[in-house]
Amino acid sequence: MTRLRHVARSRAATGADAHGEPGADARVESGTDAYAEPGTDAHPEPGTDAHAGFGTDAHAEPGTDATPDPGTDTPPEEPPRPRVPARRLLPAVGAALLVLAGGGFLYGAHQLRATPSAGNHALTDAEETARVAGEVGNGLARVFSYTPDGLDATERAARSVLAGRAQRQYTELMGRIRADLAEQRVTLSTQAVRTGVIELDGDRARLLVFLDQITHRGKAGATSAAAQLTVTARRQEDQWRIVDIRTR
Amino acid sequence: MERATSTPARTRRPPVTALALVLALIAGGFAGWAGWDWYDAAHDDTVAYAEQRDAALAAGEQAVQNLNTLDHRSLDRGLDLWESSTTGELHDQLVSGRDAFAEQVKTAKTVTTAKVLSGALTELDDRAGRARVMVALRVTVKAPGEASTDKDSRMLGELTRTDGHWKLSALGQAPVGGNPAN
Repeated sequence: MTRLRHVARSRAATGADAHGEPGADARVESGTDAYAEPGTDAHPEPGTDAHAGFGTDAHAEPGTDATPDPGTDTPPEEPPRPRVPARRLLPAVGAALLVLAGGGFLYGAHQLRATPSAGNHALTDAEETARVAGEVGNGLARVFSYTPDGLDATERAARSVLAGRAQRQYTELMGRIRADLAEQRVTLSTQAVRTGVIELDGDRARLLVFLDQITHRGKAGATSAAAQLTVTARRQEDQWRIVDIRTR
Repeated sequence: MERATSTPARTRRPPVTALALVLALIAGGFAGWAGWDWYDAAHDDTVAYAEQRDAALAAGEQAVQNLNTLDHRSLDRGLDLWESSTTGELHDQLVSGRDAFAEQVKTAKTVTTAKVLSGALTELDDRAGRARVMVALRVTVKAPGEASTDKDSRMLGELTRTDGHWKLSALGQAPVGGNPAN
């Protein structure tokens, strides 16, 4: 009896040894030892055993194998249900992603175009920039140049050059000083020496103009003065008109 | 049992799949168009040019202001700023005249500040990295024992782009009265 027990113990010891190298022993055991000690071998390492012995063990121990992996081993019953919605979802998910991507692109494009830089066409629209600068510079020169006998002509010119607030201010100013100008024989000649377009947006523009003004009073000599103006202009009937003038 | 569940699914499946496919195609078309639109905006030379214009103007206004600002109590800092705002010939002039100028300001003990009233670019060559700027500014000078005086001035500058930064390469007063009698 004691001897037999000893043998049994030593067997158990060899069984314990099998755990030391599960990968190597599993295959060997499944073929030979599985019958000798099926209980001890199957339970300690169900996971590794099930995978290691897929091909060979599946038939030997169908009961233990079926419970760990029910999905892969029983294809005919369940799969059709989850597979079809997934396939049907694919275009929908794709469409949603594409719409999102498109939205992202549109937003990005909008961000690029909506920058204040892009909205301002000063210099980027070279033709219109040159045109508004020329018309405003010439307009200022005409409006602020007069001779004692040519005030009517200047005021007529002002009506075609100015509009809005600038026209009202000009009319008010000329009404105030006109008598003096005629009496003192004042001649003013104005020249735009430099005109820069600060902002050009559609039919509205803002400009900085450096003016030189030379005044003659009667027989006295000339005095020259500099003026810096910011001018707002509006395009009306294809002509740029000055609607606001501010001294800088 | 299996037949019962699969038959309604089979009749429902084709229209839904077709609808999803059509939607996906439309979405694809939309995404493609939007992507092209974005690419177009991102590679629009005009936008890049406009950004250069604004960068040049901002740098030009700042540089003109810097060059009209100097405090005798922090001369070095002020003159360093002058040098970092300029490039080319103007920079060389400032560097070579620095000591003499610093001596003058130290003796005069003046504090000069400037405020840009308005500025505009009159030319921009994006490729060559050159631009011309006009600036109207008000310069305030405070000498010891005197009230501060304001002077409006108008300046014309030339900007050159160096290492991606616009700096002044020339600066002068816009001449007043090109041909006055006196």
